[in-house]
Amino acid sequence: MIRRLLKDFQGDVVAIPGRLLALLFFLVLIIIPVITTDSYLLRTLAFANIFAIFAVSWDLLSGYTGQINFGHALFFGVAAYTSALLNLKLGLPPWATIPIGALASVVAGVVVCLPALRLRGPYLSLVTLAFPLILLGIIFAFTDFTGGELGVSGIARISNSRVTDFYISFAVMFVSVMIMWKLTDAKSALVRTGIIFHAIREDEIAARASGINTIRYKMLAFAVGGFFAGIAGAFHAHFMRIAGPANLDLFLSFQVIIWTVFGGITSIYGPVVGVFIMYPLMEFLRVLPEIRMMIFAAIVVVILLFMPEGIAVFIRDKMERQCPRCKLSNVWWRKTCRACSANLR
Amino acid sequence: MLEVKNVTVKFDTAMVLDDANLKINKGELVGLVGPNGAGKTTLLRAIAGLIKWQKEVTRGTRNANVTFEGTVEFEGERIDKLSAHEIARRGLALCPERGRPFVEMTVKDNLLAGGFLCKSSDEIKNNLVKVYELFPRLKERENQVSGTLSGGERQMLCIGRALMHQPKLLLVDEPSSGLAPKLKEDLFKRIEDIFKELGVTILLAEQDISFAFSLSSRSYVMSRGHIISQGTAKELLADETIRKTYLGL
Repeated sequence: MIRRLLKDFQGDVVAIPGRLLALLFFLVLIIIPVITTDSYLLRTLAFANIFAIFAVSWDLLSGYTGQINFGHALFFGVAAYTSALLNLKLGLPPWATIPIGALASVVAGVVVCLPALRLRGPYLSLVTLAFPLILLGIIFAFTDFTGGELGVSGIARISNSRVTDFYISFAVMFVSVMIMWKLTDAKSALVRTGIIFHAIREDEIAARASGINTIRYKMLAFAVGGFFAGIAGAFHAHFMRIAGPANLDLFLSFQVIIWTVFGGITSIYGPVVGVFIMYPLMEFLRVLPEIRMMIFAAIVVVILLFMPEGIAVFIRDKMERQCPRCKLSNVWWRKTCRACSANLR
Repeated sequence: MLEVKNVTVKFDTAMVLDDANLKINKGELVGLVGPNGAGKTTLLRAIAGLIKWQKEVTRGTRNANVTFEGTVEFEGERIDKLSAHEIARRGLALCPERGRPFVEMTVKDNLLAGGFLCKSSDEIKNNLVKVYELFPRLKERENQVSGTLSGGERQMLCIGRALMHQPKLLLVDEPSSGLAPKLKEDLFKRIEDIFKELGVTILLAEQDISFAFSLSSRSYVMSRGHIISQGTAKELLADETIRKTYLGL
């Protein structure tokens, strides 16, 4: 049994460079707090974990299902405010407020979905763009309850140690990304969300003619995307100990798109790579505040010019060679396929 | 099996289908012939429940008021009020014009998407084997992205995709458009196999009259939104006005 597992592990992970790299990346993340307990670094990485969940949830909804959402920060903000208010006003602990916050985002997802079912393309994007702005208006209208410009502050920490914070955020990121990856990869008879989301993105008429209830699955995509974005938002609120209007900001909605496109859209691992490169980079560039945004813009332009499919996908394509016969991934230096020994050159 | 009664479809003020009536019995292969713009595609879409969809898509654009009147019955049940996926669930599959495969998916994934309505993985597997037997070329191209397929292969793929959920009635919309004569012949042979061996009732919309007439037991002739006439190939060809005016022979 163990031998079989090891063999599977070797065939499915070690032999594929992309997956091996992902494994190493996760191992390095696990080890980092052992090497250094620098609070700034751990805090930056913990936020990178949170934003990775956020970016992957956008990729699931907009990349995979094709419902380009320009207001993804809505889900982030709804969960942040919900968990912050529940914690502050009702005294609920973080382990209760975070799931409730995420569920509030699911509700927000379904609400956004209602007009989205009738709209397509740019019209849909513009409507989604409006939702966070509407919520911001509501927040500024009820300042007594929501704190207005200042937000809701003084909420409970998740833990008192940076290392624990980091490990919790890492575990949540790992589990969330794995679930979303499985959802977009699923092709079995039991769960077929992967193929269905893809079919909806490509041709909704053909999908409907195949008997797929596209409305239900679009709702599912909004609900799942909302849920994970909500998890990220609620965690963010508890880490920062504040939920404010910045959580609903347009800039956040666009940043998630930039991270995802930078890493590689419709790939799930792309947004994770995008966030882990861009977010720490932007943090460390705070020492050069004058040119920080310029460097950010320059990097994005260069990447999109030379690697339009995203940096993670670009690197993966360079490292892996797909067998023309059996479509198995092989390391780039192999001349023949490891399974069917077809010629790879 | 299928009865279309007084179906009228208007795009804004343009009458695309005018009082169309059509009846198909179980175990028939019926042709639907007519020139471009006769309303064949619209009729098939009306049957498959996609007119309502067109209404949704064109909502808000100018001069795109789609109206649909009349009834469509499938196995004694009215389906004109149902949405497309519910109609598909009842065993009616549409194979749209030019196939419309999911171009970024592999051939196999396209077929799996078509097997959405199958209840178990065994059912999917069996149907997949059947489709591959029918179109061995698809088996060869199993892992290829379908956007890179040739026109004929795409058409095969889309018929295969429609067959994945074992439909009782298959609506095929101009399968031969853009294909070389040899490929056409091949494809029509396959359609005949589907009809004879799998026992699927078929409504075949086609411009190529010689093929449509040779396959079908009887045909409907359409022109400018009207169903002009119906009958066996012999009867239709015997009527000189129809032959000259509508079939161009």
